[in-house]
Amino acid sequence: MSTASTSLQQSMAETPAVIAELYLKFGESAFVRQHTAEGMPTLWLGREKLLEVLKFLRDDYRPRYEMLLDVTAIDERLRVHRGGQPESDFTVVYQLISYSGNCDIRLKVALKEPDLKVPTIISLWPAANWHERECWDMFGVVFDGHPNLSRIYTPPTWVGHPLRKDHPARATEMEPYRLDDDIVDTEQEAMKFKPEEWGLERKSDTSEFMFLNFGPNHPAAHGVIRFALQLDGEYVLDVVPDVGYHHRGAEKMGERQTWHTYIPYTDRIDYLGGVMNNLPYVMAVEKMAGIEVPERVKVIRVMLAEFFRICSHLLFFGTWAVDLGQLSPLFYAFVDREKAFNIIESITGGRMHPSWFRIGGVAQDLPNGWEVRVREFVDMFPKKLLEYNKMVMANTVIKQRTIGVGKMNTQDAYDWGMTGPALRATGLEWDYRKNRPYSGYENFEFEVPIAVNGDCYDRAAVRVEEMRQSCEIIRQCLENMPSGPYKSDHHLTTPPLKEDSKQDIETLINHFLSVSWGPVMEPSEVSMAIEATKGINSYYLINDGGSGSYRTRIRTPSFIHIQAIPFLSRGLMLADFTAVVATTDFVMADVDK
Amino acid sequence: MSILFYASALVAVLSTIMVITRVNVVHALLYFIVSLLAVAVIFYTLGAPMAAALEVIVYAGAIMVMFLFVMMMLNLGQRTIDQERVWLSPNIWIGPSILAAILLVELLLGLITTDATIAHTMVEAKEIGIALFGPYVLAVELASMLLLAGLVGAFHLARK
Amino acid sequence: MFSFEVGSLLNIAFVLGAGLVVSIMMIWVERRFLGFFSDRLGPNRVGPFGLFQVIADAVKMLTKEDWIPPFSDKFTFVVAPMILPIVMLLSLAVIPFGPGVGVMDLNIGLLWIFAMAGLASYSTMLGGLASNNKFALLGSLRGAGQMISYEVFMGISILGIVILSDSFSLREIVEAQRDGWFVIPQFFGFIVFMVAGMAESHRWPFDLPEGEAEIISGYNTEYSGMKFGLFMIGEYIGMVVMSALIPVLFFGGWLAPFGLEFGNEIFSGLFWMGAKTTFFLLFFVLVRAALVRPRYDQLMSYGWLVMLPLSLVNLLITGAVVLYQAG
Repeated sequence: MSTASTSLQQSMAETPAVIAELYLKFGESAFVRQHTAEGMPTLWLGREKLLEVLKFLRDDYRPRYEMLLDVTAIDERLRVHRGGQPESDFTVVYQLISYSGNCDIRLKVALKEPDLKVPTIISLWPAANWHERECWDMFGVVFDGHPNLSRIYTPPTWVGHPLRKDHPARATEMEPYRLDDDIVDTEQEAMKFKPEEWGLERKSDTSEFMFLNFGPNHPAAHGVIRFALQLDGEYVLDVVPDVGYHHRGAEKMGERQTWHTYIPYTDRIDYLGGVMNNLPYVMAVEKMAGIEVPERVKVIRVMLAEFFRICSHLLFFGTWAVDLGQLSPLFYAFVDREKAFNIIESITGGRMHPSWFRIGGVAQDLPNGWEVRVREFVDMFPKKLLEYNKMVMANTVIKQRTIGVGKMNTQDAYDWGMTGPALRATGLEWDYRKNRPYSGYENFEFEVPIAVNGDCYDRAAVRVEEMRQSCEIIRQCLENMPSGPYKSDHHLTTPPLKEDSKQDIETLINHFLSVSWGPVMEPSEVSMAIEATKGINSYYLINDGGSGSYRTRIRTPSFIHIQAIPFLSRGLMLADFTAVVATTDFVMADVDK
Repeated sequence: MSILFYASALVAVLSTIMVITRVNVVHALLYFIVSLLAVAVIFYTLGAPMAAALEVIVYAGAIMVMFLFVMMMLNLGQRTIDQERVWLSPNIWIGPSILAAILLVELLLGLITTDATIAHTMVEAKEIGIALFGPYVLAVELASMLLLAGLVGAFHLARK
Repeated sequence: MFSFEVGSLLNIAFVLGAGLVVSIMMIWVERRFLGFFSDRLGPNRVGPFGLFQVIADAVKMLTKEDWIPPFSDKFTFVVAPMILPIVMLLSLAVIPFGPGVGVMDLNIGLLWIFAMAGLASYSTMLGGLASNNKFALLGSLRGAGQMISYEVFMGISILGIVILSDSFSLREIVEAQRDGWFVIPQFFGFIVFMVAGMAESHRWPFDLPEGEAEIISGYNTEYSGMKFGLFMIGEYIGMVVMSALIPVLFFGGWLAPFGLEFGNEIFSGLFWMGAKTTFFLLFFVLVRAALVRPRYDQLMSYGWLVMLPLSLVNLLITGAVVLYQAG
């Protein structure tokens, strides 16, 4: 029997404390409970109770659910296997996380057409702002009371809501695109920043403000993003980030790809994270399929993921120094990054986007002699980190430029949905790898670096220390690499073992089907989160029994972190603003999906 | 050196006329700088290199940069250009310029009758220093008090 | 006409040629050294050791589209980039490169350089203002504030030397150092002058008027082709002027250290002056590779709160000592 159904049975057998408490407080009739493959407490409730319940969970319930992890929606209109869920055309999904209690809860609100309205929850979590705009943009769900419910990914002139099932997914399903001068003019006009829409004043009693388009093409913007800055002299009064220039519709693509063929798309979400993006996705699918991967696979995955963490942090480190005006560290960081990439290349054959993890395993076994190169790296790298510390972190001007700049405390981090190094820099010792170990992280010894002040310097310092810890984890992988297969011996493993095809015609057909459209699994819902390079990255997959996902929700940390930039940079100078942008460490592909 | 003197005098006069007649305030300032530079050359030909250098450093260098600075802040656009254009209509400037021309003629007459030639005693930096801290020491101290007051005032304004 | 004395045609040709060639070659030297400092090779493809890279760059710049933005103030936009190389070359004229080598021997040579440095800020100001671009405007505002401020300390920092040498003439200042370089009695003056000089020529780390992480390229954001090239050349000539001025003021100019004079006086002088200038040129490159750009308000408060008092105290002490020694 697969583990998915076992855990399902377990979760059905017992009622989690939070659900019991909610039943007690609001009455059992207010909720409908749903069972999901990963066993997260999931409740349906009416929209009129929503604010009350969320407020209760945030403030009064113990342990508190401090952070709003995700808000998304599901177009349920074409879903066949709903398994006793309440009637719904569009479902809005809220996911909360409690750091003190180390647990999650998912709340769902059913909406029937044409009345697609839910109250906004910005009053509880300011981070909900962009989530709600995204839901409106992608699904057309209206959030009552939202201050500026405008499109976020698609241009303001877009017609329709892309993630609805009736919206075409391919360009070939639409009219041929043309861009004549008139259209260019309308599009340009629509892109123009109008301060009034964002509640910004054009002048104060004493001075007239300058509105500066920082981006979409700016050397320090780290990708195609536009920050409309409200400046008084060189002081930043307010910032309005404008994203979507890099939107590719990764979630929509998930609906037309098979489970297996979607893996390469995940690499390109956080393009600095490489195979680390594969990890939550394949783990989510494995959980649905009930595949238990061999130990060797787990350790290989951890090793490569940590290599990519080092690569990503090195890029952050170098560009951060350049943004502050130090020229050389970038090149040193890139040299080391190149060494890591060489190892990744000799193992996977790819460099930045190897797409190397598979459902139930990895693509190949480790090559002969991999230990030599990895050992070279783990011996060399900690010494380099000491050098970096001396050159950058101990530099007086760097300290003057970053200590106390862009400060946030842990409560602010909860409010703004900051995860990963940004959250740890505020002093909260919480790491997915430590607190909810996945892929065998419980077998590794490493520390979770934290800082105190949550300013730009601390965010950078936490990342530097994380590189050292990652290097330690890689060393442990090197020394304790278990032997065994690199692929699980499970019938849903994709691509399946070649040996299986050589038994008889039946297994050959199965193998053929399995390679063609990959695993087909029982309808279920599952979400899987990991500690990615930038913060919590989670995949929430809804399986309607097809060869691919019915709805793929990717919770990317960068998207949420960008939202906090205005909060962090109000009242700072323009040069501090670039420091804040750099230490937010976002990747535009991760923001725009 | 009288060729140099008259050439730079001509440049000074012409560029000053351009300063008055330009509608674009940036262009006017550019001509003003040229005019100041020409005056500096005149100082040099008259044997006062120190005054020439100070003219460039203080007026053409610092003060005009401050002017530009202020203009950048004021964000003067097409509106001011149009305004300037109105002010440059002849009926506004013809009266004052006739009066100024009469003054100029008087000045030239006065200059010619005293038979002034281009002086050729060089005024060295050291002499200026001795003069400033000798007979004119009171004036220097007063001026420095004034400047100190200005400095304190500017500091106070900047702190607010 | 062909005699080799200050102001002769040959001399002018030599100084102009050497100044320009060194400035232009500095572009290559800087890129090459920055490369070495950051574990790279730097430009090494065109010609031996990549020496002709500069020519390739020049050809590229000259053949690029010479774009004048339609929204700019065209007259000022064209004038602005010319100012910088012109005034920088003019300040090169008063620098004594050796005994009898130099374009002119001005008795107010030092003031001349300050006058020219003051005019150089127009390039930044007007370039930014004429571009009619917000980034350029921010850059030129920064440039103006920074250059005016640092000019003050720069001026005060060298007054100690004027007191010691009793002259504004650069040649006399060099001659006055026969008994000992001014860097010893004027060490703080040297520090202030050095920092202010870097800020004046807005070299990294004081390149705030063009700090690319903040304001893209500052005052020259809208410039392309050879107009941008003029800004660049002007900056490098400025670097050469600064690197030549520091030895002249503080390190005995063409005078040989420890009596290491050899052969002809002129050749020995040129050699030592060249060696000292090269040292400071390379120092500028090293500084660029090593230091961090401060924030604008930090730069300004550092200037007014540290540099200004330091240079004033230095001037006061120098004056007091000179008066005491004079009895």
